[in-house]
Amino acid sequence: MRTWKDRMRHSTRGLGFVALVLIVAAIFGVLEPRFLSYVSLNGIARHMAANGLAALGLTFVVIVRKFDLSIAGVAAFCAMSMGALIAAGWPLWSVILAGLALGAVIGGISGIAISRFGLPDIVTTIAVGSIGTGLAFIYTGGRSIFQNFFTSGITDLNDAKLMGLGVSMWLLVAIYALAWFVLSRTRTGLAFYATGENPMAAHFSGIATRRFVALAYVLCAMCTVLAVLLILAESGTAETNKGANLMMPAYAGVFLGAAIMGGTSVIASFGGILLITMLLDGFALMGLPYYYSDGVVSLILLIGVLAFSDGARGTLQALRFLFWPQKSTKPTAKGSDA
Amino acid sequence: MGAPVLTASDVCKRFGPVQALRNVDFRLEPGEVHALLGINGAGKSTFIKILSGALQKDSGTIRIGGEDVHFRAPEDAIRAGIATVQQHPELVPDMSGLDNIFLGRETASRSLMGRIDREALEARADALLARFAVPIDLSQEVGQMSAVEREAVAILQAIAVDGIRVLILDEPTSTLTDVEREDLFALMNQLRAQGIAIIYITHQLEEVFAIADSFSVFRGGACIARMSVEEARSSGVSLADLMLGEAVGDIFPPKADPDARGDVFLEVRDLSLTHGFENVSFTAHRGEILGLFGLVGSGCDELAKSIFGVDPPDQGEIRIHGKPVSLRKPREALDAGIFLVPGDRRTEGLALSRHSLFNVPMANLRRAAGGRWGLKSRQLRTDIQRLTDQVALHPPHLNTPASGFSGGNQQKIVLAKGLYSEADIYIFVEPTVGVDIGARAKIYGLMRELSERAAVIVVSSDCDEVHGVADRTIALHKGRQVEPESGVFSRDDLLMAGIMGEGSL
Ligand SMILES: Nc1ncnc2c1ncn2[C@@H]1O[C@H](COP(=O)(O)OP(=O)(O)OP(=O)(O)O)[C@@H](O)[C@H]1O
Ligand SMILES: [Mg+2]
Repeated sequence: MRTWKDRMRHSTRGLGFVALVLIVAAIFGVLEPRFLSYVSLNGIARHMAANGLAALGLTFVVIVRKFDLSIAGVAAFCAMSMGALIAAGWPLWSVILAGLALGAVIGGISGIAISRFGLPDIVTTIAVGSIGTGLAFIYTGGRSIFQNFFTSGITDLNDAKLMGLGVSMWLLVAIYALAWFVLSRTRTGLAFYATGENPMAAHFSGIATRRFVALAYVLCAMCTVLAVLLILAESGTAETNKGANLMMPAYAGVFLGAAIMGGTSVIASFGGILLITMLLDGFALMGLPYYYSDGVVSLILLIGVLAFSDGARGTLQALRFLFWPQKSTKPTAKGSDA
Repeated sequence: MGAPVLTASDVCKRFGPVQALRNVDFRLEPGEVHALLGINGAGKSTFIKILSGALQKDSGTIRIGGEDVHFRAPEDAIRAGIATVQQHPELVPDMSGLDNIFLGRETASRSLMGRIDREALEARADALLARFAVPIDLSQEVGQMSAVEREAVAILQAIAVDGIRVLILDEPTSTLTDVEREDLFALMNQLRAQGIAIIYITHQLEEVFAIADSFSVFRGGACIARMSVEEARSSGVSLADLMLGEAVGDIFPPKADPDARGDVFLEVRDLSLTHGFENVSFTAHRGEILGLFGLVGSGCDELAKSIFGVDPPDQGEIRIHGKPVSLRKPREALDAGIFLVPGDRRTEGLALSRHSLFNVPMANLRRAAGGRWGLKSRQLRTDIQRLTDQVALHPPHLNTPASGFSGGNQQKIVLAKGLYSEADIYIFVEPTVGVDIGARAKIYGLMRELSERAAVIVVSSDCDEVHGVADRTIALHKGRQVEPESGVFSRDDLLMAGIMGEGSL
């Protein structure tokens, strides 16, 4: 018996998501007609690409039931490192590879400290993130780097289009598709989820749980590098505060998506980050000062998670019970169930 | 008898598609020990969760001392005098046993600032321990305790409430061993003498005759019979037949033919682990079931885990198919063809919030992917469907999370996981904890079937189980192996060996 009910439930959640996105778009469209303009939509796509990559990395970490609070620090350090390499005249592809390698090393350090040596994840990643934030200053003492940026070709990542869609968006879609395949269609994905659900049972099942935890941090840092690369491409300079705005949207996207879809997954994160980016850009367009944006995102996150939590459902049911205490399900027939 | 302390009528409860309780009628007299019987998933735990306020009924009435009650939370039930030990007690792992027992009831005053008087608490704990005499160090963190100790803490927590009228025990003896069971029965007798009524859930039917005054039988979510034990004894009805709705014969499969014994699959020589066991040696053959009997603390559990690479032994040798191996983690043991069905299924065996499609293939992801990387979803589903049918998972829903199954059925998911792993050597630790008698017969049958191609080792603190299912038995006492003089243990010798050790024979 193929569980069509389950699929239905899944697709209703998915449809609900799409409806939510359309409603948000419509509301902004009415309040601020520029929201639906080509320029604005294009901007949303670009911001979504950067935010989405950070959220994807975080998705792996959240699946193994850990936290990574080093995203901003890693982003800052890697942004300046890549900026310095561009300024030094390295070809773009080697800059990207070097950035990814650096990210992998930093993620590996957090990951091994947490999985192998059992350090608490929150403290470790705050520390690693702060170190990254500090190291971001070693190249220029805090001044921005922009030499060679326009000749290096990095800005093409922001401007170039392929079949009408920005390359950054293609990058996002390609990497999400890959991650989706790995997490939901391979044994590696099952192992990731098992590690998060019950590390002890996973260990007893022969799954190298420590390795998967460490790997999650490595992937998270590498995705962060890709995200910050897109930010460099958009702004054309490397600054120490690049990436400071990556973390909150990433968390909001992952958790809001999980709340709506009923579990952490690549698809949930994709939807979550789409929603968050629309809200952020929409508010920005309506003139909300940037310093409020983290606050707004966090507020939306709280409301979203609350609205979709089991607790909320329980409360609703309790209310129903208060108002219609007699309206309960009487069993129909005394037969065998299911 | 006087008026009943507790009555329930027409109680219904539904979980999504599953009607867990249908129009349950129930009655509890003061000062009686009332057994609640029924196969896995019959609705026993659901019913007592409703009585104890942990779940809310969909409809029906519950009366206590003649008054209608509606419990919204466990506190309400406790205030009404109903103390409960749930099937899977929720304790705070980072707190000591003592703190758990008095959690939320440290002081008489209800103010948040009430000062906690440690000495008074310890005195109260001592008084409790005088009534339920389990040797247990209450200053230990609950997270560090064994399953037996945790169960004992939960029982102490329940009886620590003042003014209880009803005590509910959901399968306490599935984790307790024979020794603590005697203590528990003594406690129950004491409470009964004080007029406290007790609802007692168990799958060990002989316990019903040992302790209960009357019993109710649940089947398919309904309470189908209520009888006094006297009545049952004199009329000679079979409790197992009542529970299942059909006759059950001998639950143990026939023993293997000694001549049909195959090659030695696993050999263990002089295995030792500090604080675990010493110089244990045995062989396990294909074609037979080897039984290992030992109480809690005997080192049985440690031995099983040691062989499985969870806690590698300090000394000694393990040979698989004649070749010495060194297994330092479960992965290596699985690769060598060993599967452990762990004793603590909820922490070591299952991802509780996930369904069978997730849990069953976990120990053999290679097979799930057909030796490649991508999962073979369709094949996976048919394989798992077959295995869950084979272990008689009820209800047979592949997409229900493990936490949505009754205790015994959770164990069946772990068994299916073991079957899926296709090992050569199976080590079952406490394989039928919380499993009803019908399913037990099925599981023993499965073990027998498995033993045709694999070596099967059953590790249990239930002497009858070990003796009943195994072809050959060994006992472990305080980490030391006890062997029969004549080559085979009789049931009583096995029990003595496990309880008293070497000197007893
Ligand atoms: N939280 C839940 N969600 C969904 N279904 C549930 C839940 N709890 C119980 N059920 C279902 O309700 C039925 C009754 O379960 P219950 O736990 O009461 O059985 P039980 O008689 O205690 O069995 P056991 O002897 O195995 O403990 C089962 O079919 C079970 O699958
Ligand atoms: Mg139960």
